[in-house]
Amino acid sequence: MSADELCSLLRQCSDDGTKVTVVGGNTLRGMGFPPSGDELGLETSALKRIVSYSPADLTVGVQAGCTLKSLASRLKREGQFVPFDAPKTGEATVGGTLAAGWLGPRRHRYGRPRDLIIGSVIALADGTLAHAGGMVVKNVAGYDMSRLYVGSFGTLGVLVQANLKTLPLAQTARAFLAPLPEGTRSRAMAQVRALAVEPSAALWIDGFEKEIPGEPGAEGRLFILLESSDALLERATRDLRSAIGRAGVPETRIIDARARDMLDGIIDAYVSTVADRSMTYRIACLPDRSEVCVLGARDLVRRFALDADAIADIMNGDVIVRASRLETRDLPLKLQVLDDALHQAEPRARIIAGDHPSRAAFNVWGNDPPAIARMRALKSRFDPHSTLNPGRFIGGI
Amino acid sequence: MSAMFEQRLADAIGAENVKTAPEDLAVYSFDAYSEGKLPAAVVIPSGTREVSAIVKIARELGEPVIARGAGTGLCGGAVSVDGGGVVISFARMHRLLELDAANRRARVQPGLVNLHLSQQVAGAKLFYAPDPASQRSSTIGGNIATNAGGPHCLSYGTTVNHVLALEIVDESGEVFTTDVDDAGYDLTAVLVGSEGTLGIVTSAWVRLLRLPESTRVWLAAFPDIESASEAVSAIIGAGIVPTALEMMDSVIVKAVEEAFHAGYPTDAAAVLLIENAGFEDEMDTYEAALREIAKRHGSLSWRAARTAAERDALWAGRKGAVGALGRVAPNYYTQDVTVPRSVLPKALHAVEIAARENDLVVGNVFHAGDGNLHPLLAYDKRDRRQVGAVLSTGDAILHAAIELGGTISGEHGVGYEKREAMTRVYSTDDLATMARVRDVFDPQRTLNPEKIFPAGTRCVEVSPPVRRGEHSAS
Repeated sequence: MSADELCSLLRQCSDDGTKVTVVGGNTLRGMGFPPSGDELGLETSALKRIVSYSPADLTVGVQAGCTLKSLASRLKREGQFVPFDAPKTGEATVGGTLAAGWLGPRRHRYGRPRDLIIGSVIALADGTLAHAGGMVVKNVAGYDMSRLYVGSFGTLGVLVQANLKTLPLAQTARAFLAPLPEGTRSRAMAQVRALAVEPSAALWIDGFEKEIPGEPGAEGRLFILLESSDALLERATRDLRSAIGRAGVPETRIIDARARDMLDGIIDAYVSTVADRSMTYRIACLPDRSEVCVLGARDLVRRFALDADAIADIMNGDVIVRASRLETRDLPLKLQVLDDALHQAEPRARIIAGDHPSRAAFNVWGNDPPAIARMRALKSRFDPHSTLNPGRFIGGI
Repeated sequence: MSAMFEQRLADAIGAENVKTAPEDLAVYSFDAYSEGKLPAAVVIPSGTREVSAIVKIARELGEPVIARGAGTGLCGGAVSVDGGGVVISFARMHRLLELDAANRRARVQPGLVNLHLSQQVAGAKLFYAPDPASQRSSTIGGNIATNAGGPHCLSYGTTVNHVLALEIVDESGEVFTTDVDDAGYDLTAVLVGSEGTLGIVTSAWVRLLRLPESTRVWLAAFPDIESASEAVSAIIGAGIVPTALEMMDSVIVKAVEEAFHAGYPTDAAAVLLIENAGFEDEMDTYEAALREIAKRHGSLSWRAARTAAERDALWAGRKGAVGALGRVAPNYYTQDVTVPRSVLPKALHAVEIAARENDLVVGNVFHAGDGNLHPLLAYDKRDRRQVGAVLSTGDAILHAAIELGGTISGEHGVGYEKREAMTRVYSTDDLATMARVRDVFDPQRTLNPEKIFPAGTRCVEVSPPVRRGEHSAS
């Protein structure tokens, strides 16, 4: 399907009242309210070209249906990358990842995807094909529409093309995996946060033992990814080892081969499910609260006799908590009550995985943000007949 | 200005904070380049509640509201275009409200001067990264409105990357907040850079960065501007993104040297000022790589600042470059365009031709690493021929940038001066899509009217723009 065909299809749907749900790689289908089933499924997979790539400019224009993996392998040939840090890169698409507003663990260093988008082509519900931004890295000509589309969950339009900044890959990547003995977690997290050479990713992993390799200690595991120049690597390694050593962590495994792939594996775990018997939340919080947030959420999950797996992003502060149980009778009820209780404690908790049939009744996006009325107004100005992904986003959008 | 209007504003925020005398208003009818008309009143509120009260009164009486920072803008973004309206000055809302060093963020009022923020958080070994050349006077609120850049945006990103949350007074005087971590649409992203047309920022949480452990500054001189710009492309192409990568041509270098004695080589046709902030461990390797690229592109000399004082001297030249041009002519006009970095040589060539054809002296001092050009056209505004020549040169530069796949503003904004040029980069549909956002936030066009959008955006028919470097998505 071409962009023009997409526009006329949308115009037709908008006119005859057909609802449309936009499908990328279907890797984040656990996010948002489930589609009602009456919608026309619109797949972007035919729009998968890398439209223009200029390594010397550090920019790439890519169609929405291109998978993260095929984009990454093209960029890698030039020693570059775009830090999406999203799960299942072989299936996940650029458009889907941007629309979902996915946030990865390296964003404190490389920026959020919305900070990497410099231009876009989007098909609006009424069939308008709108361009925004361009192919330059600094642009203040008018509103930054491209950034607004990132995280809009396909409710303002269907992304056709994204122009992105690329970044040079650091010379070296080195991963560290350390089991945390009793009483070391808090200090280890604080020490990592204070490191002069900041890691690209630093995660405290509690659980996820089937999904993430490495022996856990009594207080889980620490995963660190350093990315640096060759000249800095030795010092960064020394600093890191002595910092976590000071926190009482005796052993650290260094992994040099495929260190970045290890991070990808962990990101896959963010959305991994336990059969259809789990629900995973992401909670945005400040870095100095992430540990407390995990402990609180974990206790809550356990109070309902469910299993808890969690990841705290030490640098960015967000927390992933998965509640699951294979053998229990009233799982839907338990999850429902947990959903309420969790939002009492963490109003921003949102569901990122768990394609559970009862999800429609959950508070999947967290409590409404203060500007929800304006968001609804924006939706109705862009898509007055609510054609695109109706009812799947926050506050009935 | 009706007496009733003035009285109501005075009741709301105190008579001493409402200016209506023409001599007081005149100061607020300019920015650093453009001249607007006198507003009906200038008000100086002390906090969010007063801003809200002002907007309510203005709306009731049908007066537009124009938020204004330090007035250092260059595109008429903070002045009254048609005369009348209420200009809100944030001169009294200039405080750092909260510093959360543990999470590296700060809550600030919009009137806080950019540089003062970095100075006030330096004790916590933090700084605020966006650093427009006007940072000694421009305010965070104004920086947010224009999504301001600066030399260090090359590696740190522009203002939008550093704004975490906003408190906004809307067109009806209501207060609302946005946060980048809120669920739903990323309203923060579209509010930043909206030039005061979607709401008025009354406070912001901004991101702070750690002060770097080590900073080095180098100066490379080149025999011609082409080889310097090719060196820039080669540096970026080699996967090296320094913290700042600035270029100055001979006109600027000579003016700077005369004004500051910064130690710039006056025999060079172009110099590159390169800064890298990071760690001592990697600096020598880094320098060697940069120096090698410079050499390969024919550099005449290479200088490293060895002390903090030398570093500051090199930067003082760059930051004072625009002012130093006062030695060449009494007035100057700064154009602001961005092109893909790989076409920098072509863009600079086009600038030179445009200036030569119009018989003007042009100086180039700009953010080369970002492809963001700032040709400075020196002129005397008392000479009508020169004024006309500046306008047509400025226009030719815009045209060239668009032809090369670039855009009409990299960091200064659109304001009033460039609003008609918007149709040269965007189609009617593209502009109407932007206008939908305006419809939601400011349906009556109360906030900073006559800015960004060309006159009559919703009905005007324009020819399709040139769009190079971006391809149709079929």
